[in-house]
Amino acid sequence: MFSTSNLFSPIKLPSQMETHLWYSLPNEIKTESLLSQYVDLLSPLEKDHIFSISSHELQKSALIARALVRTTISRYQIGSQVSPRSLEFKKNAHGKPEVIWQNSDDWHPPPPRLHFNLSHTSSLIACGVTVDSPIGVDVEEKQRTMKNNILSFAKRYFSCEEVELLSAISDPEVQRQEFIKLWTLKEAYVKALGRGFSGAPFNTFTIRFSSMNPDSEDSGIMIVPLENPSDLTTNWQFAQLELGGSHYAAICRESNGGASMKVIVRKTIPLVEEQIISEIN
Amino acid sequence: MASFTGASSSALISPRQCLAPTKISGLKLVSFSNSRSNLPLSFRRLQVSCAAKPETVEKVCDIVRKQLALKDDISVSGESKFAALGADSLDTVEIVMGLEEAFGITVEEESAQTIATVQDAADLIEKLCEKSA
Repeated sequence: MFSTSNLFSPIKLPSQMETHLWYSLPNEIKTESLLSQYVDLLSPLEKDHIFSISSHELQKSALIARALVRTTISRYQIGSQVSPRSLEFKKNAHGKPEVIWQNSDDWHPPPPRLHFNLSHTSSLIACGVTVDSPIGVDVEEKQRTMKNNILSFAKRYFSCEEVELLSAISDPEVQRQEFIKLWTLKEAYVKALGRGFSGAPFNTFTIRFSSMNPDSEDSGIMIVPLENPSDLTTNWQFAQLELGGSHYAAICRESNGGASMKVIVRKTIPLVEEQIISEIN
Repeated sequence: MASFTGASSSALISPRQCLAPTKISGLKLVSFSNSRSNLPLSFRRLQVSCAAKPETVEKVCDIVRKQLALKDDISVSGESKFAALGADSLDTVEIVMGLEEAFGITVEEESAQTIATVQDAADLIEKLCEKSA
């Protein structure tokens, strides 16, 4: 048994230039004693939800996701004595979760504007963290196959330019991979906007890859709104990565005056261990 | 009141702004407060809608099962929440597309966002089918 509050020394919050990405692999988390420690971290409402899931596998996955969010945020030790169990969350008008800091009016200095976003596949759960910028994260399994025909799906949901880009790829496997990566970029953007799926329907904007000058700091990915330009903001930047050799991930956050995104990736088993995987510039 | 629908903040699924429905032998009573309404809060609008036919619910369950490749021991019913069945964002949109093709309808993003359970999907399908009939 170990105390959760002093397991590790506090981690510095991401600077304005940084994005932190934490991820866990449910397959590596097997012991019932650890899973029940995770249950102990949850709010009553979260426990109700977890216990309402009938499949053990899905229940475990949902549990690990909550444990990941709680332990990750508390790793930054914002305010003294913050434990994973004590964190409170609320949802914004569109259902996007946010942290509520207790008595934030009494804080001097005020609590940092920490943003986080969670993405969930059955085999990997990721949590992105930023300060002062909304963030969207999406992960998908690299090997994931589509039940629908890719181009039919793209024609239904993506923009014309994106359909053209995908149609031009003759190798079906490469097409499938590029489709999945494009999906994660679009989903990360919509999640960063925080307005829900209908706030930015996928066919109202194009993700465009500019032909890159290798010396340029620009990541080369930009948003091109197709309608109501004032509704869809474009001062966002993206990072694309592969996690664990098994997943594509996309991160979207506000632009940083032209500097490309610096991402620090950590793989973690909540309450047990964490490991910096890479720092990506 | 928004019930906790899942750990992942999927852009697609968001909690509905309405109270949990009560089933009374085939009829579903849904009451909700419209925050944009000028009516006083005490004047709540009641909408009585017929729950979707069991065949529609079953067809939706089949499509969901297929999309998510669910093992036989996982039960899917009208009350099943997509997020709780392990559907990620791409799964959910694939399911919606599968429903569009199976039922010959088009589901706009605004409507798709309100679907949290199999029953929601079935009800929406019947509503859209009625419209085009």
